Amino acid sequence: MTIIGLDVGSTTVKAVALANDRVVWRDYQRHGTRQAKKVHEFLGRMHEACGLVPGRDRVFFTGSGAGVIASLVGGKLVQEVVAVAASVEKLHPDVRFVSEIGGEDMKTIFFTASGKGKSKQVYMQSACSGGTGTFIEKTARKLQIPPEALARMPYDGMSLHKVSSKCGIFAEADANTLLKGGVPVEEIIASLFEAVVYQNLATLTKGNTPAPQVLLLGGPNLFFTGLQQAWRHHLAKLWRERGVAPPEGLGPQELVTVPEEALYYAALGCVEIGQGEAENVGVYAGTDRLAWWIDQGQHEEKAEQGAKGLVRGTADLDGFRQRYAGGKAAGAKGAVRSDAALFVGCDFGSTTAKAVVLAPDRELIYSCYVQSKGNPIEDAKALFADLRSAGVGKVAALALTGYGKDLLKDILGADIGVVETVAHARSAIEVFPDADVICDVGGTDVKIMILRQGTVADFRLNSQCSSGNGAFLQGVAERYGIALEDYADKAFAATSMPKLAMGCGVFLQSDIVNQQRKGWTAEEIMASLAAVLPLNVWIYAGQLQNLRAAGRRFVLQGGTHRNLAVVKAQVDFITSKVPDAEVVIHPHSGEAGAIGAALCALEAWDGVSLSRFRGFETIEALEYRTTTSSSTICRWCPVNCKRAFIDVRPPGAKGRPWSKVPVAKGWERVISGNSCPKGLVEDVNEMKVVKADMEERRRVYPNVGEVVRTHAFRRAWAGC
Amino acid sequence: MLAKWFERTPSVAPGRDADIEARAKLRIGLPKVLNIWTTHQFWLGFFGALGVPNERVVFSSDTSEEQGREYGRGRGTVDCCYPVKCVSGHYGELIFGQKRKIDILFSPMIYSLDSFLGGHVMESLACPRVMAAPENIRAGFVKERDVFAENGIAYVAPLVSLAEPRLVPRQLHDGLKHVLPGLSLSETEHAVEAGYRALADFNAELRSRSRAILELCASEGRACIMVLARPYHMDAGIGHEVEADLQAHGYPILWAQYFPLDADLMQWMFGADVAAGHIKSPFDIADVWPSSYSANTNEILWGAKVAARIPWITCAIRLTSYECGMDQPTFTPVQQIVERSGTLFFSFQELDSTKPAGSVKIRVETVL
Repeated sequence: MTIIGLDVGSTTVKAVALANDRVVWRDYQRHGTRQAKKVHEFLGRMHEACGLVPGRDRVFFTGSGAGVIASLVGGKLVQEVVAVAASVEKLHPDVRFVSEIGGEDMKTIFFTASGKGKSKQVYMQSACSGGTGTFIEKTARKLQIPPEALARMPYDGMSLHKVSSKCGIFAEADANTLLKGGVPVEEIIASLFEAVVYQNLATLTKGNTPAPQVLLLGGPNLFFTGLQQAWRHHLAKLWRERGVAPPEGLGPQELVTVPEEALYYAALGCVEIGQGEAENVGVYAGTDRLAWWIDQGQHEEKAEQGAKGLVRGTADLDGFRQRYAGGKAAGAKGAVRSDAALFVGCDFGSTTAKAVVLAPDRELIYSCYVQSKGNPIEDAKALFADLRSAGVGKVAALALTGYGKDLLKDILGADIGVVETVAHARSAIEVFPDADVICDVGGTDVKIMILRQGTVADFRLNSQCSSGNGAFLQGVAERYGIALEDYADKAFAATSMPKLAMGCGVFLQSDIVNQQRKGWTAEEIMASLAAVLPLNVWIYAGQLQNLRAAGRRFVLQGGTHRNLAVVKAQVDFITSKVPDAEVVIHPHSGEAGAIGAALCALEAWDGVSLSRFRGFETIEALEYRTTTSSSTICRWCPVNCKRAFIDVRPPGAKGRPWSKVPVAKGWERVISGNSCPKGLVEDVNEMKVVKADMEERRRVYPNVGEVVRTHAFRRAWAGC
Repeated sequence: MLAKWFERTPSVAPGRDADIEARAKLRIGLPKVLNIWTTHQFWLGFFGALGVPNERVVFSSDTSEEQGREYGRGRGTVDCCYPVKCVSGHYGELIFGQKRKIDILFSPMIYSLDSFLGGHVMESLACPRVMAAPENIRAGFVKERDVFAENGIAYVAPLVSLAEPRLVPRQLHDGLKHVLPGLSLSETEHAVEAGYRALADFNAELRSRSRAILELCASEGRACIMVLARPYHMDAGIGHEVEADLQAHGYPILWAQYFPLDADLMQWMFGADVAAGHIKSPFDIADVWPSSYSANTNEILWGAKVAARIPWITCAIRLTSYECGMDQPTFTPVQQIVERSGTLFFSFQELDSTKPAGSVKIRVETVL
């Protein structure tokens, strides 16, 4: 008799087959959301290799995706943690703590001696990405680190930086900030490993001490050397703090181990538990019903549960395309033939950097963009090289907007820095002077601006949550291996789609896993993500319950609105709330910020002044180097921001010979990674000036809360 | 102000000299968390009156991620409220992070609060999650071994109904009689009075400062900003000093909790509403928030009404923490009240360990 253990996880399927107490077959593969199909394929291959016999052999399932599948082949479900614990108890009787990290969940098991046996305490977390494999992979993908390199990246000896440990989306944003600040990717990844271990210890130990021996299981623990190092570092530290004496002569290397079969423990545990079950439990029924379900059953179930697709028939789609597909200008290209002085606006965003060139008559004559490589100086060089090669010569004024504007303003010699909201509003008003509402959905943020008489009367910005932004859609499309340009066509092809819940991106991600499990395809899930985006943008992030009160004429802009599936969902949502709404897409949806900045520069120009622009040659020749080390850590307050010093070489720079990280004459320093103005200063004398200024402002403009902070906890106000 | 502190000498209620002497040597640690941010002075006054000098009442430092990592790690709770979760770090810091060890860790379970809206609203209760936090957090320190006992620390967490002053002496006496030598009920009664007095004096001082800010704004035609938040958002690690960035650009900052309550001001703001019968008194919020049970929520709603009425408050800033169930239903009413009169409204929601620096910056630049 053969007993099969199948672990159907959120990203992979793992299987082992045991005959005569010996593993005769095993495999591990990514399922690409087609869990049932992968299980079917596995069982087929096992059939060929081991000669499975329905009615004789037995099959036991575990994992988040096993629910529907198990019953279709006669299998029995085993709870994941129970399965893992069973394996560990059999193979490692000395182990007292297990961490199993999966793609989208994490578990800990504590084994405590009690009487003759052992008691088990298990904790599991699968509602949030913090501390899971996705948490690391999501950011690694963003940093464009290939999986092999990620697996080798160390933790030991790396400088660590502050990365949010609790949510993958925040962590990605932190990693992005660090990268822009010039922190090397190796240090960012080490910080992610730190965050994962911290999160596991913080949320899944509940007052228990993980004592040796410790076993690390699951894909991330097995594949990422750095993660193993982080575990060893933290556990050893914890043992010292809590007075846990490790067995004589053994160090963390021996006490915290990762078995070679770390991936298969849940599957092996299924077999272990299966062996103890009655003979009529988990009897393999063959794959006929599974095959039926893959071909038909899942579609029938979906049709019952889902919503209609994004489009209601061909006429609806054609009408929509006619109205909106044409308005999608990809941005002006081609050679610039103008001797006039031109106005350049740049938008240094989180994922891309864009530049536009306006003629004095406000005509857009050129635009270009680069995918951000994480270093704003490198991005700027690429952008200006493009402008130069397109033939842009004389620059009358240069304006910057976006996250990188403060960092680059002096280095590039920009004439003005324009705050993002103002730049976007300015750009929209130029095209649609009577707009009421501007909705800008970018890579990492969502901005809603409500206009009255051509000025921004109110605006909403998603401050912490990124569920409504484009990066999320991009991340999901990437996970399915679908190019962003193909997103809309794929999503329009779906005739039905699951209903996703509005809200937090991490929960949304869990919801997607749920829907995958029900058999919804990538196309259908992408359609539903586009459909849920307006809810996230207007209601969740924007808190605009009453859209009608905001106005009637809506302008959609920002890179995410280049995706027509999103536009379709937006138009349908807005018109359902405001039936007489006019919804227009900004013709240069992705460049709106840069255009707004250029317009601000144009309007601020007096017609004679020379631009501060340093010139193409200077920017092209700009040398820079980045330092992050213990000497660049900000010591002015206990926050200890891990700053990056980016030293550039613009003409006439004075240098900083007095610095702990000195720079010679001819170099200028840009400090990034600081979270308050104090961090922009490294020298004590400079600090005194900054501090005195801040103190003075605090004195002149008091903050009642600060009085509480400084006085309420010292002495009783009344003598008692 | 300093002169005021020194002009009064602590008066100690009658107690046996030996007991008083013993108490003067105790060190009492209080986690600077949750509603301690609105009752701070009560505890200083209270313990001072019992003979524990103010300098021996030790508050933990402001919340920080480092504090959580260093002292709270692995002692987590299942609580989703971020300010509650942080309490582990404060406990740990008081136990392990003091140069001079504390003898008592005092973490009151504050059931109700002494709110200035008391009597005009249904109740002045604390959030139940916040009230129960001490029990919840303690569990992480006694699960495997009793960390308090191991470190020679007595853990004291009495239930305290600060909205009902008559109940408080008994509650505190029961909680503390085993750890404060010779503590009598009458002595506790005296100390509770001293506590309320210290708190009232402190609040009055802050209200007068707020008034001075308003008068300055009125006389010079300047703008100021009102923060609508729970008291613990004053903690730099919970509220992230979001308002300080606006202060740095030249706007004085008022907090709803410490808004001046002078009769002339109340009459000016609410006189017409009272006369028209919309509300019973200036402190009645039944017109906007009928289910007025929570002290902190009530004060935020009242603050929103004030922000809408005072012309020099040009902007209100709302701070709320991650997953705050108490704040959720108030988002729309607070915003609508503030915006009704054209006052700018900025909301920073879902605050947790990360300072939303980018978002603050964009908002600050837009406001300016």
